[in-house]
Amino acid sequence: MGCGLKMRGLYTPVTQIRRQVFEEIARLAYEGGDYRRIEDIPYKIIPGEIPRYRESVFKERAIVGERLRLAMGLSLRDVGKPAPISKGIEDSAISEKYYEPPLINVISFACDACAEKSYIVSENCRGCLAHPCTSVCPVKAVSIVEGFSHIDKEKCIKCGRCKEACPYDAITKRERPCAAACGVDAIESDHLGRAKINPDKCVSCGMCMVNCPFAAIADKSQIFQLIRAMEEGKEVIAIVAPAFVGQFGPLATPDKIKEALQILGFSMVYEVALGADMGAIAEAHHYVEKVPSELPFLLTSCCPSWSMLAKKYFPDIIGSISNELTPMVATARYVKERHPDAHVTFIGPCSAKKLEASRKTVRSDVDFVITFEELMGMFVAKEIEFSDLERSTSFHDATATGRGYGVAGGVASAIEACIHEYYPAKEVKIDRAEGLSNCKKLLQMVKAGKRNGYLIEGMGCPGGCVAGAGTIIPINKAAIALQNYKQTSSKKLPEKPEEV
Amino acid sequence: MNNLNIEICVGTKCVMNGAMDIMQSIENLKEISSELSEQYNSDIEINITTVKCLEGAKHHCSSPWVSINGEIFENTNSETIMAEIIDRMKWDVV
Repeated sequence: MGCGLKMRGLYTPVTQIRRQVFEEIARLAYEGGDYRRIEDIPYKIIPGEIPRYRESVFKERAIVGERLRLAMGLSLRDVGKPAPISKGIEDSAISEKYYEPPLINVISFACDACAEKSYIVSENCRGCLAHPCTSVCPVKAVSIVEGFSHIDKEKCIKCGRCKEACPYDAITKRERPCAAACGVDAIESDHLGRAKINPDKCVSCGMCMVNCPFAAIADKSQIFQLIRAMEEGKEVIAIVAPAFVGQFGPLATPDKIKEALQILGFSMVYEVALGADMGAIAEAHHYVEKVPSELPFLLTSCCPSWSMLAKKYFPDIIGSISNELTPMVATARYVKERHPDAHVTFIGPCSAKKLEASRKTVRSDVDFVITFEELMGMFVAKEIEFSDLERSTSFHDATATGRGYGVAGGVASAIEACIHEYYPAKEVKIDRAEGLSNCKKLLQMVKAGKRNGYLIEGMGCPGGCVAGAGTIIPINKAAIALQNYKQTSSKKLPEKPEEV
Repeated sequence: MNNLNIEICVGTKCVMNGAMDIMQSIENLKEISSELSEQYNSDIEINITTVKCLEGAKHHCSSPWVSINGEIFENTNSETIMAEIIDRMKWDVV
């Protein structure tokens, strides 16, 4: 795991503010009425007149104001123009999806304009006799000046070899956490040195927003519109991604989460692992039939950031991305076939799924996409206590195989298990990567012809879906919870459909 | 032996506001208890239990709640709770 991902899975004041915003927007939607009272919310979240983290409460409230807009699905305001927080709220206060790009936004005045990547000699430098920093530098940027190591910024190519060689740990890497977390180098700088996302490069994984220590990056949410749809009596069905297990605390067992969703107003709840099961079987078949005779290798398709990465950066190999439906879309279509009038809501750990659901081919299948963290805000706004719920319902939609999609390695091993079971004669070769920079490296190998005959899994988030930007609990805890849940599955492997 | 019995509320709002993180921090302390410096009594046993809404109170405005040997703390986070716990592990308070 690279540097810049150090905060993942930790609860910090950044997490707190993000969740308070979801809770308040959910409450606003549940209460209905005049939504211009959104203007009051920053005073509730940032009370009093003593700032907690920044130079003034006014700035803290202004940032909360922008976060509230994004949570409503609205775009950021122009900092230089007069506008209330509620500007345009009548457009987004609806009961259908409201989306205007971009999905992921830098709140420019919240950004601390961290310096771009550089290497710096710290006080730990002792000016040692060996000074390996100077000899390992491939461009002769490091020299001994007045007895200590010195890096010439003009010459330095930021390779980090001096840092690795220093026996005193005296050379430190300065890096923007957003840029370090971005696997596709999409973070650039604006005219004031603040982070700016290059939309042509971004694949919307959301890692920058959960790794920014100044809470300057946020994505747009659809909870308001989803709640309004349910409050207005529309039929809304939830489809829940496999990584949901354990996310809502130890009292929230999968059965109780299902029950809680029904209390919120979802008429039915399905596991997306159902679609994962269908996909695992189909991709197993696909691999056996087509690799290597028609396709040199097969890339999994379920992670939207991974498939966007492949499409944007490696357009000549996209023919090898599995054209099976993603588990989200497969599940949504399964539901819509049976409930054609229902609105389908995907509940998952992922921000990129919000974009996947806005694609032309998917738009009619998936009506809303929200994250676990956003759903938690809904549970809190509705004062749902899991301990009060009677266990009257349970999940039997999916197998252990499909449920395993939520952790890195789970997709490939699901497909592999299906191949071993149904095509025992076929030999499977597997490689996989997690984290977009690793995914990119793997795709370079693939492109160079070094992974021919392989089934290749990519997951944008380091750790897989359980580490997605919209998760609540620490990654290791989520992975363990999912593993335990898999073991309770009544079926281990999806059945092979007759026609295959 | 003075044990530390810690109850962590895992009601919905407490979980949203970081109760699981507090639990993780306490578990981390348990793992390294043998490495504590001499001013601490590393034999003190820490017991963690998760509970729902301590004393049945509604505490939506002041979550997360944690109790240490029966003493209730509101509006907690890892930082404040770990300060309370480590303080109680010093020899001179035993």
